[in-house]
Amino acid sequence: MADRLPLLDRLRDPSERTLGLLLLAPAFVLLALIVVYPIGRLLWNSFFDLRLSGGGGAKFVGLDNYALVLTDQDFWNATANTLLITVITVPGALIVGLGLALLANLPFKRRWPVRLALLLPWALPLSFAGLIFAWFFHTEYGVVNDVLIRLGLEDRRDPTMWLLKPGWAMAAICLTIIWKTSSFMALILLAGLQMIPRSLYEAAEVDGATPWQQFWQVTVPMLMPSIVVALIFRTITALQTFDIPYTMTKGGPGHATQTLAMLIHATTIDYLDLGYGSTLAVCMFVMSLAVTAVYLRHIGRQAQ
Amino acid sequence: MTFLRRTTLGTMAAALAFSLAGFSAQAQTKLRVFSGGQNQRPDLMRKLFDQYQAANPGITIDIETGGATSELQRQYLSTVLNAKDSAIDIYMIDIVNPAQYFGAGWLEPLDTYVGPAATALKPYLPVYASANVVDGKVAALPAFADAMFMYYRKDLLAKHGIAEPKTWDELSAAAKKIQATEGNANLQGLSIQGAPIEGAVCTFLLPYWGQGKEFNDAAGRLTLDKPAAVKGLGTWLGMVDAGVIKKNVAEVKTPDTVNEFKAGQAVFAINWGFAWDRFKDDADSQVKGKVGVMPLPAMAGGRSATCVGGWQWAVSAFSKHKAEAAKLVKHLASPASSKFLAVEGSLLPTYAEVYTDADVNRQAPWFKDAAAVVVAGKSRPLSKDYGQVSDIIRTTTSAILARTKTPAEGVDETEGRLRRVMR
Repeated sequence: MADRLPLLDRLRDPSERTLGLLLLAPAFVLLALIVVYPIGRLLWNSFFDLRLSGGGGAKFVGLDNYALVLTDQDFWNATANTLLITVITVPGALIVGLGLALLANLPFKRRWPVRLALLLPWALPLSFAGLIFAWFFHTEYGVVNDVLIRLGLEDRRDPTMWLLKPGWAMAAICLTIIWKTSSFMALILLAGLQMIPRSLYEAAEVDGATPWQQFWQVTVPMLMPSIVVALIFRTITALQTFDIPYTMTKGGPGHATQTLAMLIHATTIDYLDLGYGSTLAVCMFVMSLAVTAVYLRHIGRQAQ
Repeated sequence: MTFLRRTTLGTMAAALAFSLAGFSAQAQTKLRVFSGGQNQRPDLMRKLFDQYQAANPGITIDIETGGATSELQRQYLSTVLNAKDSAIDIYMIDIVNPAQYFGAGWLEPLDTYVGPAATALKPYLPVYASANVVDGKVAALPAFADAMFMYYRKDLLAKHGIAEPKTWDELSAAAKKIQATEGNANLQGLSIQGAPIEGAVCTFLLPYWGQGKEFNDAAGRLTLDKPAAVKGLGTWLGMVDAGVIKKNVAEVKTPDTVNEFKAGQAVFAINWGFAWDRFKDDADSQVKGKVGVMPLPAMAGGRSATCVGGWQWAVSAFSKHKAEAAKLVKHLASPASSKFLAVEGSLLPTYAEVYTDADVNRQAPWFKDAAAVVVAGKSRPLSKDYGQVSDIIRTTTSAILARTKTPAEGVDETEGRLRRVMR
């Protein structure tokens, strides 16, 4: 009893508060350096004309860069491509990933081959996956056309040029992204599946539920928290898609598969236009933030 | 006595230490050189550095190599130089880059070290003398030359009694005739680069320049003649339709052309100078002794012109040893170094007289023909925004060759985008 009051008193004591702040300071400074400073600098740069090719210093242009974004066809094209990739690959990876997770969760005698197969695409660097699939879809040397020709589904003299037609190129990229990311989905969902108590299934079986009913009434609701977590991660990385289209098509044909992250890369690294590049990056940041907010609200509602 | 001896010894030791320190301070001028990728032959550059080190005690040279293509190297250097990193003293850059690097303030103008542009660059081939001067200042010095060459199968042309074609129409007809009679389904008439890589900029410019048109004026302003550009691209598409160029040309990169020509799968091929050694020396080359080099064809009524490449040495604006670096660059860009690179690695010289040097010709007899091609060559637009100019041209050219845009649409788009950059 005598101990408790002094604790509160001590917290009110300015010297104790100073100590607390001092103890927090290293973590705060570190975070500020690696998170707050870069984001602040990005925002700051987005108000300047920072074209290195000009040779001159930075020129404050206020919201000019943002006005330019609104009329920039490349920005809208890249945004549309990014959203299309997100809308196709996130549900795609969820469905494939759920299938893989259910498969890996079956009572096999040897589970490790299945789990290894699950881990491998996830462990592969994104750009490697892009390069591998670029070879698969190559008009002349690719295995896709080779198989189609052997099956008699394609004319040898006129094979499909998968990566040179806007629609097919986008489809090939989405397929690659789904292949690459569904194992990540599966890993998170598998962890979720293993937390569902067996007793629930036993009870459902006693009540006469078919496997199909068990899946919808037991598995899916119990798995929901894992699904939401997996979706948040996947959606944010989908909005930042860069490596796979960059290695497969370089955004081509034309700008048909250029994503927002690729446009930012081109603007800053190739065009050396750091001001406008920062503005584009701020726009992408806002998009990611908006998506995260939607998901977080959803989770908050679920928790209630 | 002991005391005296000790002091003497101490003094001697101190003196020795001081002189050692002095010596090592002198020996410690370390220059770090970024020497491009494997195609820029870092092995030969290392030999040049070793020679320089032997002649200049007190200088040690570290070599650093980077990405395989000009774009990858530019991306790497952009990152290093944008951070004002002083780690690299000298770097090798593509012929298209001096203006951009100068504009960004990344390279040290060499005038104070090598004299004014008018005299310092006079001995070099004109195209290199102009590419390395930006705003009247010496931005860099030429390392070695390169150009797009037209390689062809001497044996096939002789077999069918066809002379070296002088125009693109003649070339197309010759290729078609050979393809038809050879009866090899894999034999391409002509291989060009249509993937959105730097080579596609040349793919756009060759048939345009071939009509005697200029892409930009001396001040770097755009002088694009749209009908000529449409006609040039139409020439390529016509050859695709005729089966001379393959359908998936928009997928073809520089190494694809090299490998397919090397495997005997192309009658004509446009590629950089390094390809010659690949055709001649590679163990898996099917075309050894069967390859000829000729000037690029012109468009009917136009004149032959090729795309010049090549590499330059620049001193970093952030180097801490600029004077020493400039001295090394001067040596690397000397006639002696140019000759060394030509004899040892068939790298094209940047001096006219080296092309006719007896030692060089013994080693690389084809240089006699190459000289005319390089001298007639034109450089791609020299712009401080070259990164963007190149991206616009190669992306649209590739899209046109993939037939997602018509030449007229593509050229309109290219012009609209370039107008904003090349003002």
